[in-house]
Amino acid sequence: MIRIIDNTLTGFDGNLPSKEELQGFCKLLFTIGVDAVELSIPAYEKMEKLPEDGNYILQIDYVDDMRKYPGFYRYTCRFEQNIDNMIHEVQINDIREIVRLRALQYCKEMRIIGLDDLMCGTYEKSMQEIKKLLPNSRINFCPENTFHCASALAVHWLLQCGSDVTTSFAGIKNNAATEEIIMTLRLAVRHKPNRDLTVFPELTRLFEAISGRKISNKKPVIGRDIFKVEAGIHADGILKNPATYEAYAPSCVGGKCEMVIGKHSGTKAIKLKLGELQLNIPREETVMKLLETVKEICTENRSSLKDDEFARLAAEVIANERN
Amino acid sequence: MKETKYIVDTTLRDGEQSPGIALRMEDKVKIAKLLDEIGVHEIEAGIPCVSRRESDSIQEIINNTKNSKISVWSRMNTADVKQSIVCKPHILHIGTPVSYIQIYSKLKKNKAWVQKNVLDCVEIAKNNGIDVTVGLEDASRSDIGFILSLIKELKKAGVDIIRIADTVGILTPSRTKEIIETIKAYSDIEIEMHIHNDLGMAVANSLVGAKAGATYIDCTLFGIGERTGNCNFYDFVHATESIFQFAMSKKQIRRIEDECYPLLKGAL
Repeated sequence: MIRIIDNTLTGFDGNLPSKEELQGFCKLLFTIGVDAVELSIPAYEKMEKLPEDGNYILQIDYVDDMRKYPGFYRYTCRFEQNIDNMIHEVQINDIREIVRLRALQYCKEMRIIGLDDLMCGTYEKSMQEIKKLLPNSRINFCPENTFHCASALAVHWLLQCGSDVTTSFAGIKNNAATEEIIMTLRLAVRHKPNRDLTVFPELTRLFEAISGRKISNKKPVIGRDIFKVEAGIHADGILKNPATYEAYAPSCVGGKCEMVIGKHSGTKAIKLKLGELQLNIPREETVMKLLETVKEICTENRSSLKDDEFARLAAEVIANERN
Repeated sequence: MKETKYIVDTTLRDGEQSPGIALRMEDKVKIAKLLDEIGVHEIEAGIPCVSRRESDSIQEIINNTKNSKISVWSRMNTADVKQSIVCKPHILHIGTPVSYIQIYSKLKKNKAWVQKNVLDCVEIAKNNGIDVTVGLEDASRSDIGFILSLIKELKKAGVDIIRIADTVGILTPSRTKEIIETIKAYSDIEIEMHIHNDLGMAVANSLVGAKAGATYIDCTLFGIGERTGNCNFYDFVHATESIFQFAMSKKQIRRIEDECYPLLKGAL
């Protein structure tokens, strides 16, 4: 059974927002299919009360904290303690260090952090070796993203070797990105297909409030501009059947396809945009003239056109053609 | 000794298709010259059929670069191919839909039609003395049997390199490895990886493809491109320099990014 732990809320102790925002963020993580949310002690104390549903994990430094903060589903700690409900964390920075795991066979649950360059090595063999070295442990893999391979490593672990990973929203803690893992599992193996992913825009908004960072417009799954289309050939294809050029429907993650008019647009995109803006579609020669003008202006300005700019331009070209 | 891999930079084609930017001729020439100077193997310079201005830009790029091969992208359409080769690129790249959704749903054609058309296109380019690479569009959602049979025919027609395009960006590492290893097992054709970043795995899947036998890797500066973009040039070299040899260093790529940022920032 796959278990995804999101540890985003262990990373912003100095900049925590309101308890309502933190609680809302946790609820939405469960909505998208995260199985357990990990918190730092300051995040937990700020929340005052945990939302009723869902599994929560507390990140602690000392075993004594387990007594101080009882009732959590699990605790994570770097100390080597074979205690019930404790996920022991170990950092492995190099494939050659994997053999050291043999000394930790007594741990019931373990989180392996690091292995950021595993993809360059024999990653499949190394993952199998980890499993062999810890035959009786529940192994949670938390690959780091120094080489932009963390999500791929986490997915490979889940699909081919293990069942347990730790991720963070937008990969903020240099981990695999929660949203990328959720979406990949849905597409690859239909994992939790009924989970509501339309909350991603709200989750992203809360994340930005919590972290004080703006998500890149092109960020996979959650970027604001990822469903904008300009190229003529693809605009045409998407119009005929969205599945031709999209891995999943934008609506399933709360987004929508948006036609942008620019240097690479074709006549079909121009006509579609005119219709979308509720403007009359002129005869073919005028559409061609408008397309040419669009290409000239966009190249001159080194940019695409906003809808109001396109509408003004269309009105001018159509008026000139009439005269 | 590390195995050498070759970068195919598609900033000026797939990268520029990203909404938010439109490059002028002088911009494209500037970027191409910088890529040429650091040893990029191939620069995909654009789509001549887009406009006369685009075709002229590509011609200027050819005139202003010394080492890189300059390629152009064309649809699998004989009229487009004829128009594309007028600017005399070193390589003509023919985008060839191979998934059933592209062939039957988008084009409303069949596999026999695709095979005949791509071979006709290849013949036209070859007869004009231009090298051809064929891009198997949406290969990640395709029937591997059709891919292998098409490769066999392309090889007979003189095509030595095919591009495996993860057009919608849905590959996982294991699926990537499976596809590349299967092709390598059945054919000696050279492979170029073209991976999109929809699931955040463009660098990883390009890496896995290269390890499985792909020689050429498509990248863009800053990873720009449609939707979530393509494989990021700097990130790919950073991730793989311990196992592969490249013509350029990370420092050189960073320098180019600094110089090109004002032109490309609209796509970020």
